[in-house]
Amino acid sequence: MTPPSIRRRDLLGAAAGFVFAPLLAGCADGGGGSTAVGGKVGLTFAWWGNDDRAQRTNAAVALFEKRHPNISVRTSFAGYPAYVQKLATQAAGGDLPDVAQLDYRQISQYAGSGTLLDLGPYLSNGTLRTADFDKGLTRTGVYGGRQYALPMGRGTTGIVYDAAVFKKAGVATPRPGWTWDDWAEAGRRISALGMKGPNGHAYTGLSDLGVNEDAFETWLRGRGKQLYASQHRLGFGTDDLTEFWTFTDKLRREGVVSQARDTAQIGGAVEDTPMGRGLAATDFNWDAPFLGYPPLLGDSVHFAPVPTTDGKVGQYFKPTMLIGVGAGTQHPKEAAELIDFLLNDPDAGKILGVTRSTPPNRRIAAAIGRTLTGPEKEVYDYGRTIAAHGTDAPPMAPPRGDVVLQVSFQRDYQRVSYGMQSPRGAAEEYVAEAKRELR
Amino acid sequence: MTTTATRPPATTTPETPRERRAHRQRSGPAYVFLSPWILGVVLLTLAPMAVSLYLSFTDYDLFDPPKWVGLRNYSDMFTADPRYWRSVGTTLLYVVVAVPLKLALALGVALLLRGTRRAKGFYRSAFYAPSLLGASMSIALVWRALYNDGGTVDELLSSVGIHTGGWVSDPHLAVFVVALLSAWQFGAPMVIFLAGLQQIPADLYEAAALDGAGPWRRFVSVTLPMLSPVVFFNLVLETIQSFQVFTPAYAISGGNGGPADSTEFYTLYLYERGFSASHMGYASAMAWVLLLAIGAVTLILFRTSRSWVFYANEGA
Repeated sequence: MTPPSIRRRDLLGAAAGFVFAPLLAGCADGGGGSTAVGGKVGLTFAWWGNDDRAQRTNAAVALFEKRHPNISVRTSFAGYPAYVQKLATQAAGGDLPDVAQLDYRQISQYAGSGTLLDLGPYLSNGTLRTADFDKGLTRTGVYGGRQYALPMGRGTTGIVYDAAVFKKAGVATPRPGWTWDDWAEAGRRISALGMKGPNGHAYTGLSDLGVNEDAFETWLRGRGKQLYASQHRLGFGTDDLTEFWTFTDKLRREGVVSQARDTAQIGGAVEDTPMGRGLAATDFNWDAPFLGYPPLLGDSVHFAPVPTTDGKVGQYFKPTMLIGVGAGTQHPKEAAELIDFLLNDPDAGKILGVTRSTPPNRRIAAAIGRTLTGPEKEVYDYGRTIAAHGTDAPPMAPPRGDVVLQVSFQRDYQRVSYGMQSPRGAAEEYVAEAKRELR
Repeated sequence: MTTTATRPPATTTPETPRERRAHRQRSGPAYVFLSPWILGVVLLTLAPMAVSLYLSFTDYDLFDPPKWVGLRNYSDMFTADPRYWRSVGTTLLYVVVAVPLKLALALGVALLLRGTRRAKGFYRSAFYAPSLLGASMSIALVWRALYNDGGTVDELLSSVGIHTGGWVSDPHLAVFVVALLSAWQFGAPMVIFLAGLQQIPADLYEAAALDGAGPWRRFVSVTLPMLSPVVFFNLVLETIQSFQVFTPAYAISGGNGGPADSTEFYTLYLYERGFSASHMGYASAMAWVLLLAIGAVTLILFRTSRSWVFYANEGA
């Protein structure tokens, strides 16, 4: 038995708690703000992600500092949920870091409220270069006709799976075009092996995707619908969500997906997912976080396309994350230089690899594509395969309320998975909240 | 107005303008000395309260200026938000469990410690120590680790054949983990109980013992009635505190009130609405409802106290 230990997520929770404490005390001293350190220009740069991404990003930043001896960069990172919350607080205080990694979901809110700097001048004077970017991808950082952020990578979703377990259960390797029914069937066959995880809970074929808004979106798009019809209206109804949650809830009752108490631990980190904890053979995730699974589970872990609905593909490419400059920065030029370095410098590209999925700069992507090995190569090749297979254009940037609704999606389904509410009851509650959130 | 003790009763003779001026001059320095406190109250308490009252009638997401929406936040809260009512239910359950548990523990330990002669200071400090530690984040995290899946409590119970799993990840038990953490910090009410116990005259016990009352009878007929004002004081204090429980629930649930909203106390939901969902207007409305609710509960406690709190000087 493993001794109880305080894990990363607990510490992140604690960290978020401490963010709250100074707020209560009415203290406005946030983490951002530029300062001059010892005659140098000081920049702050924050992102979310795991330790591997942190190491790579810090290494790239160190190279940037070496090339620009007059600039010193203070970096910080956190898990996704803690990061989003902290950034929102800083943004509200007009105290965003000089350079911040941003989620697609945050762009409309932050740009619309003047929290982000318009990057236009730095694009036109050549400090920031996007000539080698895909135009459609660059546009994801545009709000109201102005470029507020640039994509840091181009990614898509997939199914992480343990090929060794698939073989043991006699399940065929997932191929492009496999369906949600194939997915469920694979789960049944693996769960039937009756294996146990490290904590003694049953080892299931699938992770319960009912908590995952991204998974629901892909499922929905496979049926020709979408999450949002406009900035103020949902693109689906209670019936659609009821059907999805009934599907996953039935699998849970059959013992094919992770148990409620393991599903409930899903947070921002791969280590907290049922698969990452050795309790499930598959997971649904983005291609960049896929890199977190092989170190935990070994080389038999691979990445497959998201199941389709009778051949209709629901997955799409989106900017995995964007990067922008806080409107309150005192050193916009240096901030732009840092961004340009991270996105366009060949050496930085080599250090960063595909930690934020396929780099947006096509030359860099092609250059590192030749040098990658192992899971990194798999992520790179996966992107090319999916692109070749054909995906629909990405939907418009999610409306403001999506940050909140993504969390509610998880909470509402948790009550279903613990058997405390029916799929329909939870779906009705979610849709009602979404309507309030989008009005 | 401040008056000094040497001043004759002012009501009999009307003040001349000169006297009034002198009066003002005398009270002036008082206000100067009070100013740090007055500034604190006005700037840090009253003004934010006024702003919060205003915000409760607006839709305010921290980014854009507040939009006036009238009573919408309140009507959403009461009629359209099932999560709100779940958080109310969770909080009430917590108060009903945690407060009696903590007071019973505090009184029990106080009764035990009353009789100790040796190492009195040591025992009192030892039992008080958790109250000093308990408010901290780190203890809540330790608590979470203890009651987690495969944590100490799970292992201990499993070793004697009771398989409960981690209480923290069980929506029916998680709230009790928080209640236990609160009960463990019984030091403050215990000290007050100890002080109260020492006020009970020993001759009452002697008389009761002569009349043939056993220990239980003495506790029920002498200790409890004589201690009832202290019990009441602790009850009011702990009830008010319990309604505002935040840190332990935040830490034990990992910040999200989970699993399945089972530890989403009122304050946690308020925090989530305000700081995660950026609905400051809604959160402000929730805060005002909480204030009024705590006021109402306190009032009810005071009303019922007339029938069970016994003051010795009433000479009943």
